[in-house]
Amino acid sequence: MIGPEFSAVLKAATYGDEEAFGRLWRDLQPRLLRYFIVAAPAAAEDLASETWLAVVRGLDRFRGNEPAFRAWFFTIARHEVLDWRRRAARRPTEDVPVTGLTGLAAPDDPAAAAMEGLSTRAALAVVATLPADQAEAVVLRVVAGLDVDRVAAIMDKRPGTVRVLTHRGLRRLAERLGANVRIRGMV
Amino acid sequence: MDADDASFADMRRSLTDPDADRLALDEETVERLLSGDLPSSQVPPGYAQVAALLATTTAEPTPEELAGRPEVLAELRAVTRPRRAGTHARRAARPTKRRWAGLAAVALVGALLTGGVAVAATGNLPAPVRDVARSILGAAGGDLGSATPTRPDPQAAPDASSPASAGTVAGPKGPLPTGSTVPGSSPKGAGPVAEPNRERLCKAYLASQDKDHGKKMDAAAFERLAEAAGGESRIPAYCNGTQPGHPESRDEKQQPPGGQEQGQGGPSPGNGGGQGQG
Repeated sequence: MIGPEFSAVLKAATYGDEEAFGRLWRDLQPRLLRYFIVAAPAAAEDLASETWLAVVRGLDRFRGNEPAFRAWFFTIARHEVLDWRRRAARRPTEDVPVTGLTGLAAPDDPAAAAMEGLSTRAALAVVATLPADQAEAVVLRVVAGLDVDRVAAIMDKRPGTVRVLTHRGLRRLAERLGANVRIRGMV
Repeated sequence: MDADDASFADMRRSLTDPDADRLALDEETVERLLSGDLPSSQVPPGYAQVAALLATTTAEPTPEELAGRPEVLAELRAVTRPRRAGTHARRAARPTKRRWAGLAAVALVGALLTGGVAVAATGNLPAPVRDVARSILGAAGGDLGSATPTRPDPQAAPDASSPASAGTVAGPKGPLPTGSTVPGSSPKGAGPVAEPNRERLCKAYLASQDKDHGKKMDAAAFERLAEAAGGESRIPAYCNGTQPGHPESRDEKQQPPGGQEQGQGGPSPGNGGGQGQG
């Protein structure tokens, strides 16, 4: 979040102030990319570009506070995802990855294997193993930092449905990670 | 809704599966897990790894993630030039969308592929999380060879202020003064749609976005709208300006009519109220 300065930052960006725009970029681009890595992994970078182009062109028409801006931003992002899925459906001969697991880092890097931590991208890959609606709801809540009502509007669902989706998503993640613990325990 | 129905399956399962009971969450805990606002001592049993996983998805950005900015700045410059000049100067042509996107994609895919695991090791995830992640990554590994980049180094990305230098990465020549696009209303230079008409088209479009209750939009009208907006994907942004009057909640206008009957909303666990962050 940018905070109290948001409206000044937004206005300056609308008039082409690159430093101001840079603040929007740093705040939102990583979230955007991470959202797409889960929602449309094969096209994440492409869709991020498309989204920013649309946002830049629409900046002067936006009115609202920071949470509203973020929601507007991710509304555009989600439309990019829907468009992408439509385009993909129209071109059945093209190789359309469904699993959401392409484009991930190579696993066999010894340096990476030696590391204690896990990358953000790999964590997103785990989230992406959830059913699509659950994964999207979780990412919009957690990564995009949007509240239930805004996520519901963006996903075109009722808030109660979004609550169910996130709840089930978390639970499924716990089951999956917990099952892994048990398997490890037996080996 | 299917999600609601499925929640009954969850409930049934929770009656028979002790493990599922163990993982039961109340709505407030869900909110706090989602917002990262739960001290590790309060994370419910079975959710420590989930909390760690979620924390990792919100880790500090990596340089790779922030790499594509020069190209977006070029667009910003092109779009805002007339505003800054305070004239109605014609907007510069913008590089074709595909070319631009391709460029950014090359840069970012490259950065992420090479940097993904190696760079962004944030947070120490518990071993089980790592194992799941590795097994996923391992499963995907086969596809990767061809995508590996000849990528432009983001650090060496050309100074955005000289559009021509962006050509070193692949493409956009930046704003060329050959365009004929009117700023604002019609990014692609297709004929702008007159205001009332635009409003009507947008309204129809927004209504058509409601999967459950929406009325299908007339194909010709959709084409007209897409053309005016400069492409299907720009319609949301284009339509954002059509409903003046409630600026603070404009984003919510994206929600089509009919998507708001919240009364029958959630199943038992969260009767309404609580949602987290602002």
